[in-house]
Amino acid sequence: MRFNEKELVFLSRQPSERAAELGMRGPKKGDVVKRRLVKLIVNFLFYFRTDEDEPIGALLLEQCRVEREDDHVFSIAFLDEAERKYLFECGSQEQCVEWIDAIVKASYEFMRKNLIYYRTEIHRLTGKDPLEQYGISDETRFQVNSGLPPPPT
Amino acid sequence: MTMANLIYPWVLISVHVKLDRPVIAPGHGCTPGGVVMKIHEKILTHYLSCTSPVDKEGYLYKKRERNTTYLCRWFVLKGNLLFYQERPGDRILLGVIVLEGCLVQACETDGQFCFSLVFTGPVLRTYRLAADDHLSQESWIGALFCASHFYLSMIVRDLERRYEEARRDKGLCDSIQTSAVTSTPNKIMASWNTGQPYFLHGTSIVPRDGRSYSTSSVPPPSMPNRPISYSLHAPPIQFKTTNKRSPKLWPKTNAHVTPLNGPAPSFGKWPVVGFDPLEEFSKMHEYYGNEIKQLRADWLRKKRE
Repeated sequence: MRFNEKELVFLSRQPSERAAELGMRGPKKGDVVKRRLVKLIVNFLFYFRTDEDEPIGALLLEQCRVEREDDHVFSIAFLDEAERKYLFECGSQEQCVEWIDAIVKASYEFMRKNLIYYRTEIHRLTGKDPLEQYGISDETRFQVNSGLPPPPT
Repeated sequence: MTMANLIYPWVLISVHVKLDRPVIAPGHGCTPGGVVMKIHEKILTHYLSCTSPVDKEGYLYKKRERNTTYLCRWFVLKGNLLFYQERPGDRILLGVIVLEGCLVQACETDGQFCFSLVFTGPVLRTYRLAADDHLSQESWIGALFCASHFYLSMIVRDLERRYEEARRDKGLCDSIQTSAVTSTPNKIMASWNTGQPYFLHGTSIVPRDGRSYSTSSVPPPSMPNRPISYSLHAPPIQFKTTNKRSPKLWPKTNAHVTPLNGPAPSFGKWPVVGFDPLEEFSKMHEYYGNEIKQLRADWLRKKRE
């Protein structure tokens, strides 16, 4: 699968929402903890070797579950595979909590839900659709029924 | 699907065309002599196939990177990601374009209904796409323009603020404000001024019917290659001042001094100056300046007495 790698690398060099050196362990058996520079930019978690400028990889933070594993350890699980988790060891409890919060809020789908909420509420309170002045009130991505969780199967 | 092979004679209609370069490894980039960064393909395909909303999908023509041919591809836009494959429902994902840091522009150089994703930055590429007709082109440009995470976060931040305002206006807030904050909702401007100068999001956006715009310039879609810096910043906040100086306090003897908070004096009271506006201004400036100097001198003298 191809992707716009150069552009992503360029993105990884921009100011981040949050960046820190953490202990990172992959999801496979036998993966060990390694020190990585972890950077949260938009809905991607980039990770670098601590002495390198180019990221080794990028994790898309959508459809994932972030969990507190320990006092200062959190995990991210993808693909509904609860056992296959990426583990991140933080320097403190506080740092751990902050990272979890930041990652959850970084998701595009999370932000979309917020937008829909605010849009609906503002309309209810003021009678006006706040997206009209941006000219985007018809865009499918901002519609009220968009972003709702699927009905339980 | 309409195969527009009459409009685009250069288009390869066949959907069974091979990839123009071999994939090195699944989920890895293919930058020759460059970085190989892992993008975790499975996570992306999972996002694509899950039940979160699809923002737009359809056939588009995509120009090959080192070639002039356009290939027909099925595109799926979800969040800030533009996926493409040969056909809808294909298991194999050909590629994905992360839509951060790019301009979306209508671009007529390769023919009708073309548009580009221009990534701004050194050595970054431009993706050239083409639609079947004007409506589709318009619709895709509109959808791609507001697709970035960055754009969404700006809108959310703005709505959050306006939500708080709306609640305050309805008396739903507990906090006491010392100054009345008003906003001018129709003045959301398009201008870029944040700490991320590398981002330019813009489009030769098409005003749709019945849509009212308050941006200062909305060029027609046929204008090619016009990147417009586009973002949002908060509308100007006006504070009500509590110590407004009454015009009555201005000394009446100095009719030529224009009170700051009052109306301009009627025409007959302005000093007579020449016609040239620049000359007029500097003369007026000097005139008023002297007036002020005199006032100050008087005031200081009175103070000493």
